[in-house]
Amino acid sequence: MPMTDPRKIVVATGIGVVSPYGIGLASLHDGLLSGKSCLEPAKDIFPGFEGTTATVSELPNFPPTSNARYSRSDRLAMVAAQDAVADFDGQTSFRESGIIMASTVGGLSEIDPGIAQDPAAWYRRGGLARARSYSVARVAASVGEHLDVRGPICAVSVACASGAMAIALGANMLLDGAVPMVFAGGSDALCPFTMSGFNALQSLDRGPCQPFDRNRKGLNIGEGAAVLVLETLAGARARGANVLAVLRGWAMTNDASHPTAPQKQGIGLAQCIDRAMDMAECGVDEIDYVNAHGTGTPLNDIAEANAYELAFRGRNNPVPVSSTKSYFGHCLGSAGSIEAAITISAIRSGAIFPTLRLTDPIESTAVDWARGEVRRQPVSMAMSASVGFGGSNTVLIFANAGSASA
Amino acid sequence: MKPKLPTITGIGSVSPLGPAAGLIPLSPLEPSPITAWSTDGMRRAFLVKPFQPASVVPGLKTRRLDRLSAWALVAASLALQDAGIDLNEMDRSRVAVVFATGFGCIELTEAFYQSAFKNGWSGTDPITFPETLANSPAGHVALLHNLRGPNITVSSMNFAGESALLQAASLLRHGQADLAIVMAGDTLTQTIYEWYETANLLSPACFKADTQPEASGYVPGEGVVALVLESAGNREVRSYAHLQTGCWAACGGPLESIRRMLGASVLNLIISAGNGAPCATSSSNGVIGSIAAPGTAILRAQPVALGLTDAGALLHLALALSTKPASGLALMLATAADSGFAALLLELP
Repeated sequence: MPMTDPRKIVVATGIGVVSPYGIGLASLHDGLLSGKSCLEPAKDIFPGFEGTTATVSELPNFPPTSNARYSRSDRLAMVAAQDAVADFDGQTSFRESGIIMASTVGGLSEIDPGIAQDPAAWYRRGGLARARSYSVARVAASVGEHLDVRGPICAVSVACASGAMAIALGANMLLDGAVPMVFAGGSDALCPFTMSGFNALQSLDRGPCQPFDRNRKGLNIGEGAAVLVLETLAGARARGANVLAVLRGWAMTNDASHPTAPQKQGIGLAQCIDRAMDMAECGVDEIDYVNAHGTGTPLNDIAEANAYELAFRGRNNPVPVSSTKSYFGHCLGSAGSIEAAITISAIRSGAIFPTLRLTDPIESTAVDWARGEVRRQPVSMAMSASVGFGGSNTVLIFANAGSASA
Repeated sequence: MKPKLPTITGIGSVSPLGPAAGLIPLSPLEPSPITAWSTDGMRRAFLVKPFQPASVVPGLKTRRLDRLSAWALVAASLALQDAGIDLNEMDRSRVAVVFATGFGCIELTEAFYQSAFKNGWSGTDPITFPETLANSPAGHVALLHNLRGPNITVSSMNFAGESALLQAASLLRHGQADLAIVMAGDTLTQTIYEWYETANLLSPACFKADTQPEASGYVPGEGVVALVLESAGNREVRSYAHLQTGCWAACGGPLESIRRMLGASVLNLIISAGNGAPCATSSSNGVIGSIAAPGTAILRAQPVALGLTDAGALLHLALALSTKPASGLALMLATAADSGFAALLLELP
């Protein structure tokens, strides 16, 4: 029996994005439709680095508050949040809303290795305000300051599943009746700390990444932010809001297998997909598209393909799957939220964005790897999957806005 | 049918009062002199005395982990032991881990910066990097106990611990987990301490041995507290407290929200928590004065928990429960002056 209580149906009424394509969901959508990759060779991340990244250009500055300056992750988040409410009428108040923002980088981009030598001297040289932006909680707080939100404000940091998990936890808050509206998403900036870490782990592909290809070599790192405005359907109706999509199901699991590598058979992610589909009250044949985590690393992509084999067993036709990280890299803590926005965009436009550079896909009987041209087909319900270091998995299932009134 | 309340059935802690399963043995506690790095004169803080995690949890391997991860492993194991949980009898895919932290794995983050300083960004240590992530402690707890439910790490200015507890309760309420290990904590390092010192936020008690920690400013601290949270009635077990409800907000006063939560109920106990900033304490006292009824007991915040700032809530709560308060309705209140409040309504059996 589908859920019909509008107080228990979570909908997205605003989407804000900052991606290497620019500001706004429209620029992201148009960029994906064009098939243009934002990935470019980069040598200036730090001396000795040679690789491929995607960056956001022309990010507005925000004046610092009395005691803190905004990090690049903060600024990305603030721009995305502003964009999420750009179409709202001027009467809507956000004061009682909640914020759950994901980040893994936070203010690390503001700190340099000199801090480790003599912290006090580094602070005296101007580092005090810079270090104040260190905590990932500052990303969420920055959004609160920018939009004058005064409800519960929280950050989520679960590595690369963070952005999706923020949306799942935001939806829980709405079901709890804790807030009338939630700003949920993620934001991460490119910074030497994380680039160096992935470089040391030998996880980076020097050239543009090839998710789900047999010859994949690793990931590229990008940056960006996305914020979804979530409300209950009852709340959205009460203020006459435009419903963009319904968040039908969400789930979170953990592999409990290895600190960094995913469980090879994809059992944890498959279970997460099962639980999200249970919540969405949908069968395996009802998912029209999966926006995959698809980083391009050898370990992630095979584990993920195995998860889809398990989760979509018994489906009539292979499920269309693509990785949009092939366009602008892996945006870490914001990836899950940007990909949630792309998943909604796929539903609203009936366009499945193919994985770029996927010439020799991993063999799979359950998956129809979307590659080549953009596919034009009705997408009623679609899934976004995110996984991360520490074994975290999060799955979100969105459905078209019309399903809310059914 | 009345919904089952989330219930705290186990406590584990690694605090300046030592590692403990269950209620914390209370004793007067002075800040300890810092010896982990060289200081310009005496500097004090509420420090966890060094201990071997394997001496508390036999077989535990913590080499190369951040102390925050090691303490989370110890605290979680002690909390499970205290709750009398046999994980072999549970569906571990329905056991959640929710961790709250202000600074994350700061010790190894500093080590990573140190290696970048020495070797350049292209010469950093691949083993250290993943251990710098804020969710490493929760991930290691899941790995040790094969817990495959939701694994969440949150951070919130001033109220990370309260946030974690409420997020965990939400998981139980919505059937997304049967049991949650909720943890909150931080470690104290040179970069954190010297930030407070440079910002002139430290109490005189950080510099002089005969000064009370309650003096203006505050004394940084460290530690991790873990609580086992499960739905009431799932098992016949002892309960420390039922979590009735809670709320928190980044701005504004708590009075209206607390009155809404309380309805006609009368509080037996108020637990004062928070970050210890003088303006927050004054604001907290004002709220307490407004909601306390005649006969309401008031437990003042302990400096050792104030030192944990963002992640202090669970230590505040564990210390309050360790005083073995009388049964009844309790409110744990944390205020951060103009930066909001968090309020948890608890029923003490």
